[in-house]
Amino acid sequence: MSWLLDPFQSDFTQRAGLICIMVGILAPVVGTWISLRKLAYLGDAMSHSVLGGVALGFAWFGTNAVLPGALVAGVFMALVIHFLSQNRRIATDSVIAVVGSGMFALGALLLSKMDTTVSISHFLFGQLLTVNTVDLWITLVLTVSAVFFVWFRFDDLKFATFDRDHATQIGIRVQRLDAAMLVLLAVCVVVCLNTVGIALTVSLLITPTATARLFFNNVGTITRAAIAIGLTEVLAGFIVAYHFDLSPGPAITLGATSVFIVMYAIRFATSDRTYVHHTHDHDHSH
Amino acid sequence: MTNNDFVLQAIDLAVSYGDTNALSSSTFAVGAGELVAVVGPNGAGKSTLFKALAGFVDHEGDVVVHGEHCHHLERKAIAYIPQQSDLDLRFPLSVSEVVMAGRRRFHGRRMRVKHEDTARVATCLSQVDLAGMESRSLSTLSGGQVQRVLLARALAQEADVLLLDEALSGVDTRHTEELIALFADLCATGTSILVSTHDLGLVRTRFTRCLAVNGRVRGDGAPSTELEGSKLEALFSHSSWGEAS
Repeated sequence: MSWLLDPFQSDFTQRAGLICIMVGILAPVVGTWISLRKLAYLGDAMSHSVLGGVALGFAWFGTNAVLPGALVAGVFMALVIHFLSQNRRIATDSVIAVVGSGMFALGALLLSKMDTTVSISHFLFGQLLTVNTVDLWITLVLTVSAVFFVWFRFDDLKFATFDRDHATQIGIRVQRLDAAMLVLLAVCVVVCLNTVGIALTVSLLITPTATARLFFNNVGTITRAAIAIGLTEVLAGFIVAYHFDLSPGPAITLGATSVFIVMYAIRFATSDRTYVHHTHDHDHSH
Repeated sequence: MTNNDFVLQAIDLAVSYGDTNALSSSTFAVGAGELVAVVGPNGAGKSTLFKALAGFVDHEGDVVVHGEHCHHLERKAIAYIPQQSDLDLRFPLSVSEVVMAGRRRFHGRRMRVKHEDTARVATCLSQVDLAGMESRSLSTLSGGQVQRVLLARALAQEADVLLLDEALSGVDTRHTEELIALFADLCATGTSILVSTHDLGLVRTRFTRCLAVNGRVRGDGAPSTELEGSKLEALFSHSSWGEAS
């Protein structure tokens, strides 16, 4: 037991632990919808794009402005994607690639020209042990807001993701929901910034949900299972990193990937191999 | 029939996607309780016609429901069932969740599912011969069963007009007959149904009216006249390139 609690003895590791709990809840909640909407690539690009905001915030206002800078960059990226995607000639993933890579390049250039001891790898792979109280409060507010939004709009998200046309017809404002999902993703990326960093954020968004999806076939159950998996992976990764003197971000990510591979193997080994092709003409009810 | 007797009227309805005319000016009307087949080759604009009627795409011309001109998002009297290829059928939803989507406008301001909504979902599932399958996952159903779930969702909406896009594709003979019988029952209660299909044999034997579509509505009448001889040849040989997408 002390092996589990040792990492949480000091103030800064307690703050890190609290961040881990919030990330472990928020990332799977948002990640479930990112995954179901097939937006994993957007998650990756969005996480890289915030480097521009991180660098500008850091350059102008210091370390306390890193998260607000990232949030502004994430929301900016979301709005630009939403606006540019209205043009039918350009595929949305092309827009994501153009805007995401441009903002990442801006951040990398700015950081390389700054006279500071902070390395770009701090942002790329997380800086969990340097979390301060301001970061903690920002993360708390963002997490609570995002989770409440998903909670209250759960059915609308479900219907709009499954059948956009029908959702429109039954009164769901689908485009507003799309925009809200982009902002939620930006919020989640910002919250994950300290924990696993820009390069590995997509792992926390997608891997717990993908693991849950192996075993469950209902959105609500998948979300609850993904939260349980995500929380366990983030906390376990942090504890292991503490004891073995590893970087927490990569340790958490590698742990999550390993869990997915093991669960995939278990699912494959125990699967009854039944699979219904939707193009079949026969019915199974009789 | 006077204009007020029609449940649905399309007046000079036309749709363009960029520079391409998907549907040119088309006018027709459907009365209460009518069962209408919509036929035409692939790419003729049948789905576009339905999406324009349902208000999903921008269009020119008017759609009039119960004598009132409709704004795009105010067509609660119309329920549209998409082609299965437009949906992610591995989406993790149960049968009852899909059908419950049709009840959303009855949930009230607090968006609470009421007892009557649950009862209505069960009734609609029984109407399409899927009673007791509420908790089954959509991804475990066959194509024909999915089609019937989507029909149950449209019934749950309590709409006056059902637009069924390729609704009989992937449905076996027995269930096709049952669906046609169900359509007849619904029409008898006043519901109007438009079904797009490629099964001309079925249209000839089980429908009394069809709309022939290729770039625009080119024919409107009994299948015995619209789907015979030169009219049929003209419908399917007419190139819609540059006119429909």
